[in-house]
Amino acid sequence: MDVLIVEDARDQRKLLTAVVRRLGHTVHQAEDGVQALEVLTEHPDISLVVSDWMMPNMDGISLCEAIRDGRFDRYIYFILLTGKTDRDATVKGLSVGADDFLRKPVDYQELEARLKSGARVISLEQRLEQKNEQLSKTLATVESDLESAAKTQESLLAPPAVIQGVGFDWRFQPSQILGGDMFGYHALDDEHVMFYQLDVAGHGIPSALFSFTLNNLLMDVDANTSMLRKQITEPPYYKVRPSEDVVASLNQRFQTTAETMLYFTMIYGVIHSPTGKVRMTHAGHPETLWIRPSDGELHPVKDTGVPVGMMPGMNWNYSELTLKKGDRLFMYSDGITECENPQGEQYGDERLHCALYDGRHLPMKQMVEGVWSELGAWRDCKAFDDDVTCLVLEYQGG
Amino acid sequence: MGFGSRQEAGKTVVEIDEPRLDASLATPFRDYIFDLIGQGQKELVVDLSKVEFMDSSGLGAMVAALKQMGGSGAIELANPQKAVHDLFDLTCMDKIFTIHSKVNDALVSLPKSH
Repeated sequence: MDVLIVEDARDQRKLLTAVVRRLGHTVHQAEDGVQALEVLTEHPDISLVVSDWMMPNMDGISLCEAIRDGRFDRYIYFILLTGKTDRDATVKGLSVGADDFLRKPVDYQELEARLKSGARVISLEQRLEQKNEQLSKTLATVESDLESAAKTQESLLAPPAVIQGVGFDWRFQPSQILGGDMFGYHALDDEHVMFYQLDVAGHGIPSALFSFTLNNLLMDVDANTSMLRKQITEPPYYKVRPSEDVVASLNQRFQTTAETMLYFTMIYGVIHSPTGKVRMTHAGHPETLWIRPSDGELHPVKDTGVPVGMMPGMNWNYSELTLKKGDRLFMYSDGITECENPQGEQYGDERLHCALYDGRHLPMKQMVEGVWSELGAWRDCKAFDDDVTCLVLEYQGG
Repeated sequence: MGFGSRQEAGKTVVEIDEPRLDASLATPFRDYIFDLIGQGQKELVVDLSKVEFMDSSGLGAMVAALKQMGGSGAIELANPQKAVHDLFDLTCMDKIFTIHSKVNDALVSLPKSH
């Protein structure tokens, strides 16, 4: 161990140096506090200081204070030399952060024992520091991994688009960096467009990874592998699978286990673009709101079914509706209605309905923006407790 | 605060003394139920009367308990408050669990078989 002896009396210093050296330590010397700080800066291996109290320029108390003010990035164990019956010295020394005390004249056996106990504390401190360093490194890796996963998630989200006269727009805000909400839309053939929204239970990494898998499956447009089409023997050799079938087959494929508790709620729907006919299925997901500017009404679309992955062999219902030009479907995750304001009150269905009603004649993008900014004002702080998603489609005529 | 249980009419009534059964309590709750199942309790009635809010994680814990039971027993839910009842409606939990408005109703009923 590297030890620094700080003592203005030359003889005392030499004597202490000799004794500590004989105990097998490397010894550095300083005449006062100012010099001690210089030596400590030059020799980063010094981890223990034995210092006299009364010294010119800078005394032992000021030296201890200086060491404790955070200028060194290592822990330095501090032993203060005090007078024989100096109770005040002990109190003052402790208050500035001295670790131990040694009475003058120094008993060398006691000195050895105090150095040993110092060495124990230092080695504990060092191990703690190593652990801390490891933890910081690991945390940095995890954080950067999370960030790149979040970027992957962002890249999976379909950009707002118009497909076969069906406009799509959305807003999405994950609760942590990663969310379990996911959605998408794409053409199944020349006259069918699919759309989905899902919310995996829980949030964070397991939910997000599961939502990636589901997205890959649902966004697969390859005619041979897509689970959204059924192959048949007559031309055109496929049929668009009904929404309730798609949900049921997802349920057969992804059953939660007692350990993972992963299941999801979802909406899956297909719109026949020439006619505006929609067939859709809700699996434990909040109802879709059908906005009809023609009669100025909001119609809830619900065909409630259980969430996907809870129980094998379940069946789902479906809703059928025909959209007219300008009609919209607003789909959302429960993060919207369950969003709490600082007083703990939920945003709720009624406020959402009002916001949509108010925006029914505005262009789709502005209507969504209106809901989103109202929700942000309701929450009144940046982070959300749950993932928050809304997906809107507008039938612009076939 | 926390979870407790008592024997009544040959069933195990599980009490949740928590206002929110959400992500932070889903795993402890699941473990608590798994312990009961591990001790051989096969007829569980979960008393939800004190739960003001349950989220998808809380629901996940209930389903996990059901899966752990593996068809050799039953879990019934009783006395949900309005918000929890709404969640059960939205997710059609009556297709998966038997839901009673009172604990006593569960104690006189026969378990639902799957």
